[in-house]
Amino acid sequence: MKLTTRILLVLTAWLLPLMVLWATFFCYTLTREINAEVDEALEEYASLIKDRCCEGRQLPALNSGSNNSYTLQPVEEHVARRYLEPMFRDEEVYIPEKGEDEPARVMTVAFQDGEGRYLLLELATPTFEKDDLIETVLWSLVSLFAILIIVVIVVATLSMRRTLQPLYALLKWLDGYIPGSRHVCVPNDTDITELRKLNEAAQSAVDRSEAMFDAQKQFIGNASHELQTPLAVISNRVEHLINYTNPTEQQLEELVKIDHSLRHSIRLNRTLLQLARIDSGEVAASEDVDLVPILEEVVESCNEIYAAKGMKCVVTADEHLYIYVSESLARILILNLVKNAFVHGMEGSVIEVRLGDGMLKVSNVGDKPLDGARLFDRFYTFASHEAGTGTGLGLAIVKSICDHYGYNVRYGYAVQHHTFTVEFN
Amino acid sequence: MKILIIEDEPSLRELIERALVNEGYVVESAADYIAAETKVAGYNYDCILLDIMLPGGSGLDILKRLRDMSRRENVIIISARDSVDDRVAGLELGADDYLPKPFHMSELVARVRSVLRRGKTGGQLTIDMGNISLDPASRIVTIAGSRVELLKKEFDVLLYFMQRPNHLVDKVVLAEAVWGDYADESDNFHFVYAQIKNLRRKLDEAGADIMIRSVYGFGYKLTLSDKE
Repeated sequence: MKLTTRILLVLTAWLLPLMVLWATFFCYTLTREINAEVDEALEEYASLIKDRCCEGRQLPALNSGSNNSYTLQPVEEHVARRYLEPMFRDEEVYIPEKGEDEPARVMTVAFQDGEGRYLLLELATPTFEKDDLIETVLWSLVSLFAILIIVVIVVATLSMRRTLQPLYALLKWLDGYIPGSRHVCVPNDTDITELRKLNEAAQSAVDRSEAMFDAQKQFIGNASHELQTPLAVISNRVEHLINYTNPTEQQLEELVKIDHSLRHSIRLNRTLLQLARIDSGEVAASEDVDLVPILEEVVESCNEIYAAKGMKCVVTADEHLYIYVSESLARILILNLVKNAFVHGMEGSVIEVRLGDGMLKVSNVGDKPLDGARLFDRFYTFASHEAGTGTGLGLAIVKSICDHYGYNVRYGYAVQHHTFTVEFN
Repeated sequence: MKILIIEDEPSLRELIERALVNEGYVVESAADYIAAETKVAGYNYDCILLDIMLPGGSGLDILKRLRDMSRRENVIIISARDSVDDRVAGLELGADDYLPKPFHMSELVARVRSVLRRGKTGGQLTIDMGNISLDPASRIVTIAGSRVELLKKEFDVLLYFMQRPNHLVDKVVLAEAVWGDYADESDNFHFVYAQIKNLRRKLDEAGADIMIRSVYGFGYKLTLSDKE
């Protein structure tokens, strides 16, 4: 959730109940005030009728247009006693002139005329529609609320965009940050204390992780380097045993197995060293390299070596694709991607390789997508291939080479196909 | 043939000595810069195996001294610093070959042989065994004087065997040597069998008196035929 959205939601959560409360209070007060006014008018009118009635003067017309109307009728004393104090109520009254019911305020009061008779006076005056009032109030509140929110959004967005400019600058910087690649410093040109502190914290975290990253890289490089000689020594002693000591068949078999494991370690070690070199930028000079013949050679060799899997590799390539790169790294890049498809592809399936428009695409059939986030990690192997003889470093090398040259490499899965794409721009 | 080994790792030095003595070379060795300089200054060798990082100095300086003295020794650099710059620097200083550690003794022996042959015959670089002769540079193979046409991979396989006569060659190692990085994740070696089969047929048809023997199902060995 974006910060602005969050702030707006919090504002809404507070404003909404407040508005509802206020609307209720407003309706209530308004109704009471109007009723008070109307009741007062009714009381005045009633006392006029009472006075005239007591003095035996001419009474007003029963119905003055659509306005006030009244009825006057004699009642028993016991009924009258209930209405000695005037009583008010809201009622729908039929207006004959209009031919329809109208909301009205009705006042009922009893009194004694000059001759001591009890009379019940019922006065009615048309009043406002309560529903209409509530509706109007509701609508005006809704629009008020909407206007408020819009104003808040605009003001908040504008002010936040200005105030939080350094925060967004930091976020943008962090997005573009790749560990291990030498970066410019965290931008820090704000005078807001909190944001300054945040930037400083980010800078020191980045510095720390850079230092650790360097140390780790150096350690791997050194370790692989130091391992080379002992590995070579063991391997050569095994070779000596095999060739000069007349071992029995059983011994020979064991020795050959030891040799295989050793070779695997040596290969791993060499690959790690190669990774360390690429990561530290120790790479052969670049030249204009045509990738097409390299790809053709790689595919031909893979076709030969993995012939037993019965896979078919279909290549569609432009006539030439020149990029400025170290030839050996270009070869390793292409080889690892194509070989990966052969090694992990299903038997008898088709591998499609497309080279052109500044990109290389390798896709092969697969039944479920791979973990794209971890695929390029070192030593990441999928469950189906745990027992393989590979180093688990092929794709890590691909990633390192791409990072070194700034190529974009990505993995995608669609319609049962794994696709690796490298963009050379 | 006299060879000087300049290598500070005792275990590795011992192995190299043993491998070269087995091949019938006369071997001397030096463990650090001073010893190496003394040997180089006092004696002539046919071939010098030179490690770059030595206690007391850099192997590249020894190479430089040799060239300054216009000495014609063949030099093979053996170094764990398999970086491009080192390789280029070494070869520019006049080294004949560069072998990155870790290497196999058979590989080293093959390189030594090849370098010595080059020095001796002035460019004529054939490897001979029985009635077969193979020229790595022009990629021509002749058996009993007549030329035999081999495909690229067949030639590479034969070359690998010819450089290691009478050595057991594991099929996995052969695959890695000939097919390089392509083969290191393959667990099926039909492609090796196929090449060996074709190569054997061609050698047989041409009447070669060497043969590629299968050894216990996991390797091969190139030997002279024991027909006679």
